Amino acid sequence: MELIKYPRYVDESKCIACNACAEKCPKKVPSEYDTGLAKRKAIYVPYAQAVPLKYCVDPETCIYILKKRCGACVKKCPTGAVDLEQQEETVALNVGSVILTAGFQPFDPSQFDSYGYAKHPNVVTSMEMERILSASGPTGGHLVRPSDDKEPQKIAWFQCVGSRDLNRCDNSYCSSVCCMYAIKEAVVAKEHAGDGLDCAIFYMDMRTHGKDFERFYDNAREKQGVRFISSRVHTIDPVPNSDDLELRYVDENGDIQKEVFDMVVLSIGLETSAQQRALAKKLGIKLSDNHFCQTATFDPVATSRKGIYVSGAFQGPKDIPQSVIDASAAASAAGEILADARGSQTKAKEIVPETDIIGQRPRIGVFVCKCGINIAGVVDVPAVADYAKTLPYVEYATDNLYSCSQDTQDNMVEIIKKEKLNRIVVAACTPKTHEPLFQESMINAGLNKYLFEMANIRNQDSWVHKNNPELATQKAMDLVRMAVSKVALKEALKESELKINQTAMVVGGGVAGMAAAQSLAQQGYETHIIEKSDHLGGQALNIYKTTSGEDVRSKVKDLIKAIDQDKRVHTHLNTTIAAVDGFVGNFKSTLANADGEYSLEHGVVVMATGGSAFEPDEYEYGNDPRIVTSLQLDKMMMAKDPSLASLQSAVFIQCVGSREPQRPYCSRVCCTHSVHNALELKKLNPDMPIYILHRDVRTYGERELLYKEAREAGVIFIRYELDNKPQVAIKNGAITVNVIDHILGRPLELETDLLTLASAVLPNKANDLAQFFKVPINDDGFFVERHAKLGPVEFATDGVFLCGIAHYPKPLDESIAQGKAAASRAVTLLARKTLHTSGEVAETNPMWCSSCGVCVSICPYSAPTFTEEGPFTGKAQINPVLCKGCGLCVASCRSGAIHLKGFDNDQIFAQIFSLDEAVR
Amino acid sequence: MSDWEPKIVSFLCNWCSYGAADLAGVGRMEYPPNIRVIRIPCAGRMSAKFFLAALRQGADGVWVSG
Amino acid sequence: MSKDVIGSVMVVGGGIAGMQSALDLADSGYYVYLVEKGPSIGGVMAQLDKTFPTNDCAM
Repeated sequence: MELIKYPRYVDESKCIACNACAEKCPKKVPSEYDTGLAKRKAIYVPYAQAVPLKYCVDPETCIYILKKRCGACVKKCPTGAVDLEQQEETVALNVGSVILTAGFQPFDPSQFDSYGYAKHPNVVTSMEMERILSASGPTGGHLVRPSDDKEPQKIAWFQCVGSRDLNRCDNSYCSSVCCMYAIKEAVVAKEHAGDGLDCAIFYMDMRTHGKDFERFYDNAREKQGVRFISSRVHTIDPVPNSDDLELRYVDENGDIQKEVFDMVVLSIGLETSAQQRALAKKLGIKLSDNHFCQTATFDPVATSRKGIYVSGAFQGPKDIPQSVIDASAAASAAGEILADARGSQTKAKEIVPETDIIGQRPRIGVFVCKCGINIAGVVDVPAVADYAKTLPYVEYATDNLYSCSQDTQDNMVEIIKKEKLNRIVVAACTPKTHEPLFQESMINAGLNKYLFEMANIRNQDSWVHKNNPELATQKAMDLVRMAVSKVALKEALKESELKINQTAMVVGGGVAGMAAAQSLAQQGYETHIIEKSDHLGGQALNIYKTTSGEDVRSKVKDLIKAIDQDKRVHTHLNTTIAAVDGFVGNFKSTLANADGEYSLEHGVVVMATGGSAFEPDEYEYGNDPRIVTSLQLDKMMMAKDPSLASLQSAVFIQCVGSREPQRPYCSRVCCTHSVHNALELKKLNPDMPIYILHRDVRTYGERELLYKEAREAGVIFIRYELDNKPQVAIKNGAITVNVIDHILGRPLELETDLLTLASAVLPNKANDLAQFFKVPINDDGFFVERHAKLGPVEFATDGVFLCGIAHYPKPLDESIAQGKAAASRAVTLLARKTLHTSGEVAETNPMWCSSCGVCVSICPYSAPTFTEEGPFTGKAQINPVLCKGCGLCVASCRSGAIHLKGFDNDQIFAQIFSLDEAVR
Repeated sequence: MSDWEPKIVSFLCNWCSYGAADLAGVGRMEYPPNIRVIRIPCAGRMSAKFFLAALRQGADGVWVSG
Repeated sequence: MSKDVIGSVMVVGGGIAGMQSALDLADSGYYVYLVEKGPSIGGVMAQLDKTFPTNDCAM
């Protein structure tokens, strides 16, 4: 692989992000980060939290680079980091695999004349709206419209701008994410502006098919008063003598409406940029007709080229959780082919033996950082260092220009050794970013890393009190004094080490579970699949074809065969879990089958418990063999049932059991399934009239093309409302379906000889497992992951992962990707081989414990338990592996029996008591 | 009266408010210098005894955020 | 498996997907080159205000 490394014009190892360069830079340009709504300089950091937090120069606007004049930044930089002569470099890399996560570009709506995006400042894109609503945005989170900074009273969102549209752009697919983000923006806008704000969303189909999305939609509509209008607005006209905008649209009754809004937000779609397409071409990777990376259902992250994997929106328009799932799946896929070379390119660290300081009088070293002028420009740093020398136990104090630079760190190691220091205070920036760096130096000096404290005299002092140097200096002294008094009481803490059992257990042998097991095995881990039925395959065996036409059964059988042949996968059929003991790295599960019980030790567990189809309780289901569920129709198709070809007509009813008050979630897969089955029926008999009765057609992503194909094939889509559901009757041997046609507003009677009910996807009951592994289940019966966006395949409980329908209804490709993703997350744990617990954990003193159980019930991580044997039976003990050091138990212990190492009572009191002059 | 400035002791959660206070600095916001921050691992660590001790030391206000 | 596999991976793109892939691989014992054309990682998600359903700050 050959890469071009573009010059940054700033040496990252020297830049301290002090902003001196940007302050002096005379060139102002629109900020990309704030979508052009705010300005940045030609030398800049993209945003305050940017990683790396290092400045860079924009060569397209820098006056020096363009005209060889200026260079103010070079002169102003206190560390000499700016180098405007930097050149492009070519870097050659040898790698075993490549993962493409090139992303997407937001659609540019300026090509649409009718929306006047380029002409009217108050027509903004959804990306611009994100910035307007953001507290770190150009308006500081104050919701005002761009033209006159007026607070808007009425805002309209237009859905499907640059999506589902072949007339004005080439994007016929659905962008998947816009419906949800529009609702979110409307709700957040109302939070900012109050209930008086009128938010209206103009849509074609509301697609809230993700986990908990439907609830959010219901809440926005019913509780927050967001208006949802099913209409595509054709024109926006400016209202003369104002910045307002008049919309004309056809409402659901077919009447033309005019309405004036203060602002219009265009919900722009996702597309692949020309640059991203060129990258694919360069790598020799096939793209779909819509320019997304081509993948297969049973290999959802593999590109057309071996060893190159894909994830994120470059594979297809998708939201954050799906991108994160695919990303882990791609990591797993790369890990599967590189397993033999694991660890071959990484380096192990050298360990310096630790000095024993027990019994020693504290000898504290204080290092006060100038951070160039960042601190020293406001705070009198030498005075603070001198003051530090006067404090008890301080043996050494000095100031440094840049404490974090490598030479200062090396010097610090020497000083610690020479002065025999046994506790260190660094007064500098923030422990959030720099504590690990200084602790590393302590380790290199043979000192326990917990004998350390930082005083935050930059982020929380010099930077926020720059007009008050005297008081800022006083504050710095106070903070140093408090830190010194705390560090004197600190102890060397042990991080206990724990072996991780290198075996994995997967609960559930459906495609998600099998995908997880296969991936774990290929990455070198013994894996056990626990399946309660007598065969592997799960629900996938009931599905006829994938949307791209692959035969599901044969693909699933291939997968089962691969599992059976893999010696590292052990399948336990007809087996359930009876009990679970232990915790991350050391689980011991009791398995039960017809022959009795036996135990399995494993380090991690993947929950792939799956789901099943809801059995309809309406629409005359069960009263006529011609009324079937989607899966029953699949079964007829698999059996090549001859009656299908001779059907006179077919009707599908969507949302049977889904999006109802008692089950308020969208089952995600049914719209695509019915549309696909309708097309299969059309293949058998193109003249067969087919009706799909739906509430919104949710063929998200590139599945939209199937919907388009179905409409072109003559499938008729009729929308119904929840309060006006279709009526099914069996009269004289005929099935009739009555529905109100939403366009004509008239009742319609359909006679059919096949009625398919798209029934909801239900999670399998897993309450026992949830209790065994201490993981939560939501109101709908699905498992609750660690984080909806950033932790979609793992639980808050360490060592427990999830995938497939146990998480939420999803199609095969997404289940398989999530199975692989769960494997990837599990491997990151297994690969460590040992667990190091943090030293800053809680510990009980059993002599003081009154066995009241408050800590046991209050801990969110189940770390405290009652001791079961020995002299302290019945007293609480805390497992350091599970403890996250939050201190909740310490604060709630009525006996004062729990200590939180590193944040113990005496240490916090020491800080409070040394406030002294600071509060007098 | 108008010259009186309260002395405030704040206990900030390491994972949210303490980070937010850092970001206030990154954004070069300004606020009066009569506040002293004590970092705690979680607002759940906060004990009534800390409030009382801070007030007894002379603090005019105690602010816990997490 | 072939004898000369290289235990390193290049991840192209530093958005949320790229970062997650890179972290997983690095934590699994592979050397990762995370390649990003812009000056910082974070991608489009860093520009978002909040994320549903919890309305957590996207940053």
